[in-house]
Amino acid sequence: MRDPSTVLVRPVQDRLTLAMRASHVLVAIFVALALAFAAIGVAIDDTFYLRLATEALIFSGLALSVDILLGYTGLLSLGQALYFGLGAYVSALVLQRVPSFWAAMAAALVACVIVGALAGLIVYRVRGVYFALVTFGLAQVAAKAVYNTRELGASDGLIGIPVVPVDLGFGTVQSNAPAGFFLITLGVIVVLYLAVAYLFETPFGRVLIALRANERRVPFLGYSPRAARLAAYVLAAVVAGLSGALYPMLRGFVSPELLFFSTSGNAIITVVTGGVGTLAGALYGGVILTVLKSVIGSWTPHHLVVIGLLFMAAVIFLPKGLMGLVRPWIERLLRRTAR
Amino acid sequence: MKPVLEVRGLGVSFGVLRAVDDVWFDAEPNAITAVIGPNGAGKSTLFNLISGQLRPTVGRVVLDGADVTVRSPHLLQRAGMGRSFQITNLFFELSVFENLRLAAQRLESKRRMLLPVGRPGPARSRVDELIARFDLSAKAGDLAGGLSHGEQRRLEIAVAMAARPSILLLDEPTQGMSHADTLDTARLIRDLSRDVTILLIEHDIGVVMDISKHVVVMQHGRKLAEGPPAVVRADPAVQAAYFGHA
Repeated sequence: MRDPSTVLVRPVQDRLTLAMRASHVLVAIFVALALAFAAIGVAIDDTFYLRLATEALIFSGLALSVDILLGYTGLLSLGQALYFGLGAYVSALVLQRVPSFWAAMAAALVACVIVGALAGLIVYRVRGVYFALVTFGLAQVAAKAVYNTRELGASDGLIGIPVVPVDLGFGTVQSNAPAGFFLITLGVIVVLYLAVAYLFETPFGRVLIALRANERRVPFLGYSPRAARLAAYVLAAVVAGLSGALYPMLRGFVSPELLFFSTSGNAIITVVTGGVGTLAGALYGGVILTVLKSVIGSWTPHHLVVIGLLFMAAVIFLPKGLMGLVRPWIERLLRRTAR
Repeated sequence: MKPVLEVRGLGVSFGVLRAVDDVWFDAEPNAITAVIGPNGAGKSTLFNLISGQLRPTVGRVVLDGADVTVRSPHLLQRAGMGRSFQITNLFFELSVFENLRLAAQRLESKRRMLLPVGRPGPARSRVDELIARFDLSAKAGDLAGGLSHGEQRRLEIAVAMAARPSILLLDEPTQGMSHADTLDTARLIRDLSRDVTILLIEHDIGVVMDISKHVVVMQHGRKLAEGPPAVVRADPAVQAAYFGHA
């Protein structure tokens, strides 16, 4: 063995950091495209496509929460709709009483932390298939409960959520302004992305990544796998809930379908199509899926069959998703420019 | 000198089988204590009892004077116990550097759990030190899964000692190694024992006898003999049980 002091250790380019930087590039491109889209939308005085794109972004946020669990922590949640719906309902209930964007977002955040931590006490004990089943079960229970609660509008949901002014400090945007609310939603989703991306570049986030890579070794790093799993679960709950909180502002109503398995399932399809474990893939995937649903839905009522086939094709031909295909290429570019 | 680790009457039963039965020994600071014995002697079970993966039916484990008998593995790790595994147990899809950085990040203050990983600090300098000491600098950026078997075994030890444990438990560190690699690893372990107390399970008796200060021989879950290598080697009961001739 050589004496450590005489050996020069070359600085190592951290692969995980490099991959995250590549995701930042992809998200920057995404934001640029979104801004261009918004500009065009305003120029041609469009409403339909701007609102469709806003909805796509909201579901991108839900997909982001699925990717935290599936792509980074190695946990398949079949019930992220629980928190998406929770955020949406809490936001709707607040907006019916107080027309404040920030109050609705804060209430959704608090609700998701509390419910996420409580449900997490059940969920954190299990992993793998059991984690998938327990998250599925919890979401089904919540969906049924909401569906049968008259005070929450039962099967009709809550309708007639008033338009809410979004006070940004320097000005106010109404939630029914197509371009304005599109930009607000874009801002929220980008902030969520940046927060999540930041966390995965900290020792805390790396423990979650370690959990995916090899859970059996994690205790011997001095961390409890269960505590790490609980933290990831609550984090994902908050991201899903804050995305869901935007939904009633856009649509003016919430319905129990937001809590159904189809919502959770779509989010998983979104992440797999966009690229598991890339974060950027959740954003692109959300747009791709929403556009496909809308476009194919206008041709045929059987659009779910087409989505299903496309999903299968994506799994077979693009196992790493769209971003899984593109990101390594950007990583190479970044590595070259770093030299 | 006060022992770093005291194993006091440790035992575990699986149904009627007493896999480990009334084992006593101490590990002296900055020395190598080895546990040897034929297959099925209960060495690995004993290790799992000490490192918290199994709960003992009877007995105590004392680390640095504190009773740590029923603590879970991650708390034992924080109390200063590091361990490696017989079957390589790394983060294969992460780089060598990141494997070590993860293992060393407990050296950082708690406040830095939510600050970026890239910045210099105790963890970063520990990783640089380990990469040099374990001769992994050419491979630091490679995925752990892409290393050769010998390199993975070295990394396994480096990960186990990254957080500066007060005792390092090594479970058959030379498992599956060529003769030359085995000798290199034995030399490495002997060097490490200057800074850290080592408890070693080893199949290769030659390695054990050369580098250990104290040897514990196990058979059928019980301690058959213990003492300095020369004494143990001369013990007729050990010769009958382990070396195959009386």
